[in-house]
Amino acid sequence: MARNSIYQEETFPSPLIRLWHSFRETKVVMIGFSCFLFLFFLAVFAPILTPYSSVENNLDYLLLPPAWDVNGDVSFLLGTDNLGRDMLSRLMHGTSLTFGLSFVVVITSLVIGVIIGSLSALTKGIKSSFLNHFLDVILSIPSLLLAIIIVAILGPGLGNTLWAIILVLIPQFVHITRNAVKEEFTKDYVLASRLDGANSLRILSYSIFPNIIEKLISQATLAQSAAILDIAALGFLGLGAPIPLPEWGAMLSNGLGLFYTAPWTVYLPGLAILFSVVATNLVGEGMRHALKQSKES
Amino acid sequence: MNLLDIRNLSIELHSSHNSILAVDRVSLSMKEGEVRGLVGESGSGKSLLAQAIIGVLDDRWHVHADRFHWRGRDLLRLTPEERKVVISQDVAMIFQEPMACLDPTASIGEQLEEAVNSEQLSGYFWQKSQQRKIAATKLLHKVGIKNHELCIRSYPHQLTEALCQRVMIAMALAKKPLLLIADEPTAAMENSNQGQIFRLLASLNQLKNMSILLISHDLENVTHWTDTITVMYSGQFVEAGTTKQIFTKPYHPYTRALLDSSPKANIELPAKSRLMTLPGSIPILQHLPIGCRLGPRCPRAQQECVQAPKVKNFHGHQVSCHFSLRDNY
Amino acid sequence: MLNFTIRRLYLLFFTMFLLTLVSFSLSFLFPGEQLVNISGKVNATPAQLVLLAEQYHHHEGFFTQYWIYLQHIFDGEFGVSMASHLPISTEIINLLPATMELSLTALFIAMIIGIPVGFIAAIRHKKLTDNVILTIAMLGYSIPVFWLGLLAILVFSIQLNWLPSAGQISLLYEIKHVTGMQFIDILLSDSEYKWQAFQNATSHLILPACVIALAPGTLFIRLARTAMMEVLEKGYIRAAKSKGLTFNQIIYRHAIRNALINVIRHVGLQFANLITIAMVTEVIFSWPGIGRWLIESIYQRDYTAIQAGLLVLSSSIFFVHILTDFIYAALNPLARDSKHGA
Repeated sequence: MARNSIYQEETFPSPLIRLWHSFRETKVVMIGFSCFLFLFFLAVFAPILTPYSSVENNLDYLLLPPAWDVNGDVSFLLGTDNLGRDMLSRLMHGTSLTFGLSFVVVITSLVIGVIIGSLSALTKGIKSSFLNHFLDVILSIPSLLLAIIIVAILGPGLGNTLWAIILVLIPQFVHITRNAVKEEFTKDYVLASRLDGANSLRILSYSIFPNIIEKLISQATLAQSAAILDIAALGFLGLGAPIPLPEWGAMLSNGLGLFYTAPWTVYLPGLAILFSVVATNLVGEGMRHALKQSKES
Repeated sequence: MNLLDIRNLSIELHSSHNSILAVDRVSLSMKEGEVRGLVGESGSGKSLLAQAIIGVLDDRWHVHADRFHWRGRDLLRLTPEERKVVISQDVAMIFQEPMACLDPTASIGEQLEEAVNSEQLSGYFWQKSQQRKIAATKLLHKVGIKNHELCIRSYPHQLTEALCQRVMIAMALAKKPLLLIADEPTAAMENSNQGQIFRLLASLNQLKNMSILLISHDLENVTHWTDTITVMYSGQFVEAGTTKQIFTKPYHPYTRALLDSSPKANIELPAKSRLMTLPGSIPILQHLPIGCRLGPRCPRAQQECVQAPKVKNFHGHQVSCHFSLRDNY
Repeated sequence: MLNFTIRRLYLLFFTMFLLTLVSFSLSFLFPGEQLVNISGKVNATPAQLVLLAEQYHHHEGFFTQYWIYLQHIFDGEFGVSMASHLPISTEIINLLPATMELSLTALFIAMIIGIPVGFIAAIRHKKLTDNVILTIAMLGYSIPVFWLGLLAILVFSIQLNWLPSAGQISLLYEIKHVTGMQFIDILLSDSEYKWQAFQNATSHLILPACVIALAPGTLFIRLARTAMMEVLEKGYIRAAKSKGLTFNQIIYRHAIRNALINVIRHVGLQFANLITIAMVTEVIFSWPGIGRWLIESIYQRDYTAIQAGLLVLSSSIFFVHILTDFIYAALNPLARDSKHGA
């Protein structure tokens, strides 16, 4: 009688489920993941959840300290800034700007980068080496400089900032995809598919993608933390979102002049950025750790 | 007096879920000038045993034994560090892929000079370095490398595997060891080179009276070059005896199956007949059978095999089986 | 080794070609008149425009214009800044050394601290030291650099009053400007207050350099840790243990060299990241470097400056990258062979 498994108590879950299991084992990573989900939820539902509007001025309540301070007011939990706008609402709205947009940016550049990368991995010879050098050149330009130049070309504004960061992140994904696909192409199971008669597109989608998806996801988390920092940096320099929008970096630069009198306008956005980047990095670390474990066992 | 006397050595792996007994009560003894072969499939724990003797296992592995004597000295009373000091003075080991065992960024000369024992040198600082170089050259000559200048200057990736293995043997000889453990020294080489290495080992055994523990899964090579053989299966002791005894009258069903499955050992095979093998494969560490681990595959297994068999000794031919083939002879 | 050098030089030339091409195309992509973008003369009269058209061969094809642009660059002429109306080459010569001084110091600090800490974390793998180091590394990697700079100024300059918070050196010292790198200038000048000037310059340099060094430093910790863990798994470490070498001997003689090789490779790649961080830090600390100048040029829409700045900055980054490639090849015999491709 033919049996698929000799040991009946042994089950072999699919790679994604295995990844999830080892992901779940580390407590710190699960905390990071739940923070990540919380931020995501906040980013999507912020406009509904904010107690006050984040852009309207409230000239009666200028520069209130946070609620735990002596002069603070409980109705403005985290204080107000110099135009009377509630910090908590601004921070929440800023989540959907800084965090939410970074997510969108990463997904877009992931898709475009992977397509370009896998197509370029199929080329050989002079075209391939030219592309390689071109990628090297773009990757050696500092990301902020590239984003600044693209903003200078396209003009200021939120949409253009997004395009700038997308264009900065695409070469990273192209580079990773290209290297990963080229590496997989040398392996024997691809050779077996090819001998079966599969054309390149089929090999790419059926054989190679499921194997490189983990590398792509880990690079995506790295790119997301870089995107959050870049969006905030551009906002800080005044090149990102237009003034009234409560993007975290812009809030930081807004609070600069008030540093001595109202330090919370500088601490709070910075903490928010730190929190979201740490959450993203924890998720990324957990994923890389789980990847390594599943490769070892 | 036995050079090395090990009784009931076990090696356990403690992981977060459970502990796995990778090597289960194996006994081994070696005399001076003896060449003993340690035979078993991959996964039988023979490399683990060798590494436990030398002391290079890391903290995850726990080693305990009833008896571990080296030249009459009881090593179990010493701390692991002291044990390592005593053993590393007289025991040397060579490994399976010699090129991977050499530092790729250091030249052969540097690594050889590192192995030279500093206490045997005398004199001032510059004299010592000169003596080290001469000692390194002598070592290369001992293993049969005549043109030492090219060898000393080159890096490991520029040499062949057989040459690297000779260099490893030279480094092992630097300590003038009494026992050389060779862990599958020729697994990565072609047959012609294998012969060279084995001839070198045999000549070292004859000239210097150095004992050799030869670990291999290749039964033909082992039976040709060794005096005595120990067979292991899945971490358990199976059989031990002189090569002639094991080759002509194997007592354990597993040894019998090993011999039957190799064409050279079985001259009476009729033409175009199947080679005889045991069904199934070696059990994985997560699912080890209780008692005798050959049980699920053994053609003579019965109810008693759930209990691990004790070692029986018949005129120096030891076997660990409830239903040994001794009665057939 | 010669083969390797030739291949690297070829790579350098090709990359320079692409970079200059990109920078040249920018003058077409930026809004405004292409001729004005490339020369910088915003208020040119029509007669001057005709003269400029002659100079830059405006009526001819793209590649001829590119060739003329290259010639201008080799002559050292980058055009004139739209905002300050000063020739850009003088500005760059003044500012680039200051940025290089800051970035190279920060890179040095990051390497000196990051790599040994990473090695220690790998040697004490899975113990408390390892986890503590990893946590600190993750926090350091996640802090936005502008926030960190502000906090550093708050704590070290204002509350503790240990270190100054702006500029390269106190205005009291009149050090003649020779190379732009403050330390070399101090050593070259013949002022009587050399030692105090040196101390003052150091105190100005430390805070921005440390702020810049934090993120790359934590990245080096991670890279060194991974490299050392991989090396410790390898066969020759086990063989060296069985040779009888002590643990310390193995680490110092074999493990460090091999792990360092893997890390050095990544150092060159990190330099671009470091320059990005340096640009923002220069703005916060008012450090007179090219990063701050570039950001101000963006505010002022000074396209000529942006073009030139991009070219110069990327070339220096690439130069450092090639330099680390050479160091890597010098240390690793395997990389020198011809079968190790680019």
